[in-house]
Amino acid sequence: MPDRNRVERTIFSAIDDVNGLLLPAQRLTKSPETALMGDQSALDSLGLVNLIVAVERRVEEAFGVNLVLVDQESMSLKESPFKKIGTLVDYTKNLLDKKLNRVAP
Amino acid sequence: MSLRGVLVSSFNLENLAALMRNDSEQPRVEIQVAPYGQVKPVLLGVDASLWRDKPDFAVVWTQGEAVIDAYRAIQAYEEVPMKRLDDEVREYASLLKKLLDKVRFVFVPTWVRPPDEKIFGMLEMKPSGGTAYALMRMNVLLSECLQDEPRIIFFDSQRWTAVRDAFNPKLWYLGKIPFNNEVFAQASRDFRAALRILNGASKKMIVLDLDDTLWGGTVGEDGWENLRIGGHDPLGEAYADFQSALKSLTRRGVLLGIVSKNEESVALEAIRKHPEMRLKLEDFAGWMINWRDKVQNLADLTARLNLSLDSVVFIDDSPQERLAIRQALPEVEVPEWPEDTMLYKKALLGLSSFNTAALSAEDAHRTQMYVSERARGELKNSARSLEEWLESLDIRITSEELKATNLQRTAQLLNKTNQMNLSTRRMTEAELGEWARHRDRMVVTFRVADKFGDAGLVGLLSLEREPKKSRIVDFVLSCRVIGRGAEKTMLHWASQIAQAWGSEELTAPYKQTPKNKPCFEFWKSTDFIYDSKTGTFCRETKTLYPLPKTVKLIGI
Repeated sequence: MPDRNRVERTIFSAIDDVNGLLLPAQRLTKSPETALMGDQSALDSLGLVNLIVAVERRVEEAFGVNLVLVDQESMSLKESPFKKIGTLVDYTKNLLDKKLNRVAP
Repeated sequence: MSLRGVLVSSFNLENLAALMRNDSEQPRVEIQVAPYGQVKPVLLGVDASLWRDKPDFAVVWTQGEAVIDAYRAIQAYEEVPMKRLDDEVREYASLLKKLLDKVRFVFVPTWVRPPDEKIFGMLEMKPSGGTAYALMRMNVLLSECLQDEPRIIFFDSQRWTAVRDAFNPKLWYLGKIPFNNEVFAQASRDFRAALRILNGASKKMIVLDLDDTLWGGTVGEDGWENLRIGGHDPLGEAYADFQSALKSLTRRGVLLGIVSKNEESVALEAIRKHPEMRLKLEDFAGWMINWRDKVQNLADLTARLNLSLDSVVFIDDSPQERLAIRQALPEVEVPEWPEDTMLYKKALLGLSSFNTAALSAEDAHRTQMYVSERARGELKNSARSLEEWLESLDIRITSEELKATNLQRTAQLLNKTNQMNLSTRRMTEAELGEWARHRDRMVVTFRVADKFGDAGLVGLLSLEREPKKSRIVDFVLSCRVIGRGAEKTMLHWASQIAQAWGSEELTAPYKQTPKNKPCFEFWKSTDFIYDSKTGTFCRETKTLYPLPKTVKLIGI
């Protein structure tokens, strides 16, 4: 099972990628409480798209697993997994757990 | 300095805009992004606000299928006559050319397709219906259609997409972005390098260390016979290839220099005698080979060649020497250098500092000009006086009005010259040609030759007639010929024109830049009166400015 801290570090490296596209004043703080959606977030819809793609790429590099963050399931959840960095870490870890369990011998 | 740019595309270019805005390197840019997917209306100027005050540049980056209908049909495996494809590409090229009325430079990346589209692999390069063939044909034809427009720069985007997962379907479906951000980062670097160069900041010389940089081994200890260059030896071959690549660059106007801690006679003997040396002494514009520190040597070498430090790239295998130059001479570009000799050539060819939009005849012969300059210097050392030396050079200066055949080189000179430059105006060929067309203006060019060779078109003088006075707008002279009487000859010419125009005085407003102090010093040495309040040099036109006795002027 992937360690939650390691998943969080992976998400933070994706945050670094996205921060490279934002002006200094808009850059995301690497904290679980940082909002990714809604009025409190510095990300617009394009920023969120960039983040999703960056997380999938970083997860693949770190864990060797192809994750699909945006699908029917994530879009139909009552509470969006992309609400805050913390919820995104939890959602990513959950998907990773499932995927790694499935491929384990 | 901040430049204004407009991004036009068939897809979402916001990520490129963000990367360009966030980059702290010079020049800084302000970016406007045109609505994507509306390339043709945008190019035709539907939204005039985008093009207000003539932006400095536009990037027009499209997918082939978005702007060439015939290509979209070929992608759908429909039968399309090649003439239809060619006609549409020509039409697109003429749209791009029209954009030149609205911006100074247009950057156009080549059309690309994902490398994994291989469903009909063996048919892809067939002229009858092959999509890879069609795209290649479109790119070649577009390049040919645009080749007479030096203000449209065609970029090879294939290089940018040679990264992992360059084409990203997820970004496409979620954001209408076809490429990942590494592609945009590479493109942003290339656009910025081009903007630097188009605004006169190109590098001119590579200064090299010798031991373990230009050859393998230490010449002072191993002897020239035992240096590793060429032969049946992978490392020797890598050094030889590195030298060959450097030699190729000299044919494009890049100068080579040496700064090395060695005995000069020992090092020069190696260059002269080693049979595998690709570079010969005549390939080097100059060298400083001694035991002094390299910082001082590099500064002295560039000063001796009349080059500024920011036009130099320094290559040395030693991290300590690189650090010393970086700290002491921050204007010099010092690329990180690979430890592995087999990567030397790759590192050299990866530099973007020598990028240029056009080549002139002078570029191809630049090293030869510096070799001639060395011969002049040797003669100067043996002459009894400066006058005797100038006399012995047999200097001939030919003046010629600006015309179509010298416009390219003249614009290049105007945009590249920093030190002997009165006002440091930067203009494109078209802008300069347009400026000169006015009946109260005149642009004269100067070629300088002597018994050692022809330096080519190296001087530019432009004047504007005003009531009762003539104003020198540009006074530009290549640093290669400074001190041989060309400066005074140009003033002689200017005073002749002012007299012919019936002006009472000749003025020259000096615009100070961080680099043009040599120009100010020259003007201060003349009999022009300097008004420090207006920053203008002034002289009555009753008498002509004297032509140096050592110069033979061949006029228009």
